[in-house]
Amino acid sequence: MEAPSTREKLAPLGRLGPLLALLAACAFFATQSDRFLTGDNLSLVLQQVMVVGVLAIGQTLIILTGGVDLSCGMVMALGGVVMTKLATEAGLPVPVAIAGGVAVTTLFGMVNGLLVTRVKLPPFIVTLGTLNIAFAITQLYSNAQTITDIPPSMTALGNTFQVGGTAVVYGVTLMLALYLLVWFALRETASGRHVYAVGNNPEATRLTGINTPRVLLGVYVIAGALYGVASLLSVARTGVGDPNAGQTENLDAITAVVLGGTSLFGGRGLVLGSLVGALIVGVFRNGLTLMGVSSVYQILITGVLVILAVTTDQLSRGGAR
Amino acid sequence: MGTTVIPNAATSARASIVMQARGLVKRYGHVTALDGADFELRAGEILAVIGDNGAGKSSLIKALSGALIPDEGEMLLDGQVVHFRSPIDARRAGIETVYQELAVAPAMTIAENLFLGRELRRPGVLGRLFRMLDKERMLAESVAHMQALNIGIRSMKQAVETLSGGQRQGVAVARSAAFARHVVIMDEPTAALGVKESNMVLDLIRRVRDRGLPVVLISHNMPHVFALADRIHVARLGKRAAVLNPKTISMSDAVAVMTGARRAEELAPEELALSLIHI
Repeated sequence: MEAPSTREKLAPLGRLGPLLALLAACAFFATQSDRFLTGDNLSLVLQQVMVVGVLAIGQTLIILTGGVDLSCGMVMALGGVVMTKLATEAGLPVPVAIAGGVAVTTLFGMVNGLLVTRVKLPPFIVTLGTLNIAFAITQLYSNAQTITDIPPSMTALGNTFQVGGTAVVYGVTLMLALYLLVWFALRETASGRHVYAVGNNPEATRLTGINTPRVLLGVYVIAGALYGVASLLSVARTGVGDPNAGQTENLDAITAVVLGGTSLFGGRGLVLGSLVGALIVGVFRNGLTLMGVSSVYQILITGVLVILAVTTDQLSRGGAR
Repeated sequence: MGTTVIPNAATSARASIVMQARGLVKRYGHVTALDGADFELRAGEILAVIGDNGAGKSSLIKALSGALIPDEGEMLLDGQVVHFRSPIDARRAGIETVYQELAVAPAMTIAENLFLGRELRRPGVLGRLFRMLDKERMLAESVAHMQALNIGIRSMKQAVETLSGGQRQGVAVARSAAFARHVVIMDEPTAALGVKESNMVLDLIRRVRDRGLPVVLISHNMPHVFALADRIHVARLGKRAAVLNPKTISMSDAVAVMTGARRAEELAPEELALSLIHI
């Protein structure tokens, strides 16, 4: 029929945009600091990114459905406090304590999902509420005290193994494995395609016979479970149960998803893009630190990047109308 | 544009009845949307449903497509009594509906849209255990479905949003035709389209009928109704006022019946496509 539109031709470029931005940032910082491209430093970036990276997987699923989760970081902090307290004060075996923490974050995901699907509240408002609730419970439950003397097996994911002379944290491989798993599920299974369909056109999806509330609820529950994994990674990385964890990660996870090219309007995006987005944030923080730039400028640049990414999304969507 | 005349559908009352409704009633508080409405769809025909706003046209169609549960009356599909509690029930029974608002997922491919909610999985362990989709088979079958209706689109892998409005509606029509076993209902399928695009969709509707699926066409557009329909069901005051024969009745008379300016009893017998005495 007709020739492919400009938009159609540019689509593959749009998908590669985040990756090109990441490579450009790496190239720039390599010229600014000799230490940037060393194995140890890149391993450090990955280690710094792993918590946000796992949060961003859950966040991607929710944003793909056209929602957003403002509570992810606070829910993660609660999960970390619960699992460390269960392992220390309650003296439960480490696997049970971890399961308890993940159960709490999954429950929060389910509450978010039920409020969105049953009460039909906007995800933004629901998670704004649970953000505060999770934060308050975390402070009350921990008495605002950091939980220390964690059993070593609980922080095992923070240990390292050697890859060609570079020490890599186990948690990073767990994060990468989760990305591959979710990438596969979104791409190759009907449930994964239904997540996109719900974000694209919920009414049309419902009319094809797909149980859209179940798809949405499933997404929030899975996201909650992923936040529990992020809790464990956070505990492993810091070695403590920190009631004030997750405060930067909360919005960083959304930033990573948006920088990765997933549309805030739902229905389009790639989970691997969120890994790239998380790496962009990590690389900028790390590179600017190596250059001796004050952390305030890092925040400034992250903000500018987010506006650029959302502008690109808005413009490409406008072109489709 | 020429209209294919299916002699059995338009003229013979003996053509087998695919779908039937008797005495449907639906009340919303003080408002009676359906007041004993009857309906009859014959094999191989395009039956247009017309009516003024509030005539009970959309309530009737909603009942047939499962979007509304009537308070009274019964519906039969191929002679069997059916009770639809949701559009999903109607779909399972073999009734597909095409909506005016282009009900497709824009960022997804044509093949994905055609099989949305009815995805095919790979055979063996890959499908059962890993739930993997059989993308190649869905792609191949999509090509077949689209070709069967003569919809010329380059690739089934392109996103639906890259298509024109008419082509998007073509995807929705192809999806219904591919999966409907008994009836396709088209609810104002051309309302959102321009002239050229509308004509394309009208051709598609004829091809669906010519492949053996009866079509219920809801439309406000009288020229479209007269160009396509084998019979015209007129809804008025929550009832069936008449069933008209578009080959013999004039457009203005059809509108007159629709608005109540003329009654079915005042029409010549050849202008009717269903003798009301036999109901």
